[in-house]
Amino acid sequence: MSSLLDIKDLHAGIPDKPIINGLSLSINPGEVHAIMGPNGSGKSTLSYVLSGKEGYEVNGGEMVFDGQELAQMSPEARAIAGLFLAFQYPLEIPGVTNMTFLKTSLNAIRRGRGEDEMDAASFLRLAREKSRALGMDDDMLRRQLNVGFSGGEKKRNEILQMAILEPKLAILDETDSGLDIDALKTVAEGVNALRSPEHGMLVITHYQRLLDFIKPDVVHVMAKGQIVKSGGPELALELEKSGYAEYVGGAETASEGSPAHA
Amino acid sequence: MLDAQSHFEQIRDTLPGDGQARAATLAAAEAVGLPTRRVESWHYTDLARLLKSGEATGVRTVDFAGVKALEAHFENGLLHGEPQAEGLSVAPFSNTIAHTEAPSPDTVMASYNHALAQNGLTAEVSGTLAQPLVIRTSGTQPVHLAHKISLAAGAKAVLVDDHMATGYANVVFDIHLGEGAELTLLRSQQAGHQVGLSRVTLEQDARYKSVAMISGGTLARHEAHVTLKAAQAHAELHSAVLGHGLSKAATHADFTYVIEHQAADTSSNTSAYNVLDGNARGVFQGKIIVRPDAQRVDAQMQTRAMMLSEGAEMDAKPELEIYADDVVCAHGSAIGELDRDALFFLRSRGLDEATARQLLVAAFLEQVTTHIDDEGLSEIMRQLVDTKINTLLGNLSGEVSS
Repeated sequence: MSSLLDIKDLHAGIPDKPIINGLSLSINPGEVHAIMGPNGSGKSTLSYVLSGKEGYEVNGGEMVFDGQELAQMSPEARAIAGLFLAFQYPLEIPGVTNMTFLKTSLNAIRRGRGEDEMDAASFLRLAREKSRALGMDDDMLRRQLNVGFSGGEKKRNEILQMAILEPKLAILDETDSGLDIDALKTVAEGVNALRSPEHGMLVITHYQRLLDFIKPDVVHVMAKGQIVKSGGPELALELEKSGYAEYVGGAETASEGSPAHA
Repeated sequence: MLDAQSHFEQIRDTLPGDGQARAATLAAAEAVGLPTRRVESWHYTDLARLLKSGEATGVRTVDFAGVKALEAHFENGLLHGEPQAEGLSVAPFSNTIAHTEAPSPDTVMASYNHALAQNGLTAEVSGTLAQPLVIRTSGTQPVHLAHKISLAAGAKAVLVDDHMATGYANVVFDIHLGEGAELTLLRSQQAGHQVGLSRVTLEQDARYKSVAMISGGTLARHEAHVTLKAAQAHAELHSAVLGHGLSKAATHADFTYVIEHQAADTSSNTSAYNVLDGNARGVFQGKIIVRPDAQRVDAQMQTRAMMLSEGAEMDAKPELEIYADDVVCAHGSAIGELDRDALFFLRSRGLDEATARQLLVAAFLEQVTTHIDDEGLSEIMRQLVDTKINTLLGNLSGEVSS
């Protein structure tokens, strides 16, 4: 089986500042990978480089998603190809209703794939069904995009977008930050609902707690822009006990910086 | 540029009212002349230069024809059709506003209007108008119009000022709202050279809401003097500018307000949203005056500008002049560019860059459109915004300036 995402020896960062230093990672369809690591290890940068945020540059290596090299693709082309980033800090956009935004997004992606746009009535049904499953009330669809939403509501809204767009690979950038335990469970249920043999996920988090609810297949430790250790779910538990101290000393001393997935 | 004296000679025979008085008013205005940039209230709008520059052309893309409305249509100053409805009485135009004081550079444009006014709607509303009253101004000739709109106690109306004239227009609205009266004034200018002045007075419990959309025109000067005379009077003035065009064809949109709270327990809320592309220039001058006994006044004023090109300019000058001590007054001003993070967010959800930009601009202006309660009218404004964004912003600025 070919990988969904195959990152090889990736070097990337912002101008004059390398942040990702030879990172390799491979995710197969159906797998959930978690990346944990201390602040400043490059986790969020990795999510931005993968999704194509302006201002980040790739200086070497490969990132092949579903057979396509991502580096030269626009953010929208990546979304159309099936990549999704759940933002750590979702933006507020006054003047656009959540519903209009969701519909514009879904139809942009469908058009990009050469599919027909979804009609208004079918879309309304879909949006209601998915938002109710996430415990969001219908009013949140009518409200302006993230305006006046609590931290938890914003994160839920990110998961709603994911549920509607059904990406092949979802990157969750600290989706657990700012969530109380109930919200965390709901969000995790939303994420788990998308798990299937075809979909992959990359869950970026500081804390093991999220991984109680979203069980990863593989856990990676990231430090200084590299994957320094990979293992099963037990690695997350270990980190919860011992912290990151042993990894922040220097990536070069860690065991081989081996490709993530065996 | 308009030569006022020869224009007067040309149309003199057609003008109603006292010709001698008009001639005297014109002579007094001419002695002052057009306001220059040395006059504070005209500092950012160089009237003589703007009137000389550029053809006053523009593209008209959306109109109010689809709305069931009462209409007074002034074409080159001539009135077609007289609106008739229950609760509305229209009087023939006369030019009888007392205008005795000698003009100053601040008031001279009103004096020109008074000397040269050839027509205008004189309407009194009692009761509730079931349909919006549309004043449509079209034509290519220089025109001076003086409208007098009065709402009796408890009356309610929606007034639309649909300005589509491509020539020079000096338009004065005198508006009086009786006790508990409610007026919404929706204004649209898509083209032309307009120097506009609204003088609005509100009695107790009266509510005035003005929502203006400037989507073109090489001169759009909208001056408003709003006086809140008695308790619980409330005024809202919201403006949106979608400015575009290069050099002499660029939009110049100027909103200059004086909002005077004469009485206690009055309130006002002002917002201005400017999107400026090409060499467009937005001007906002808002002065809030709170008189000594006007306690518990709540006055809010916000200006925001989104700059889409390096050649655009925004001048924002909010002012508070407060003589009472128990008031809540605030003003804020923010000038920025299209939010790059928002742009990335939308693109990461599959929208191409042009669509994402258009959506963000439309969303910005929606914060003005949202104040229009009438669904039919707000829908027309949204169409206007979308059409302008598609045809103008789609072409002009390809890049987000850093």
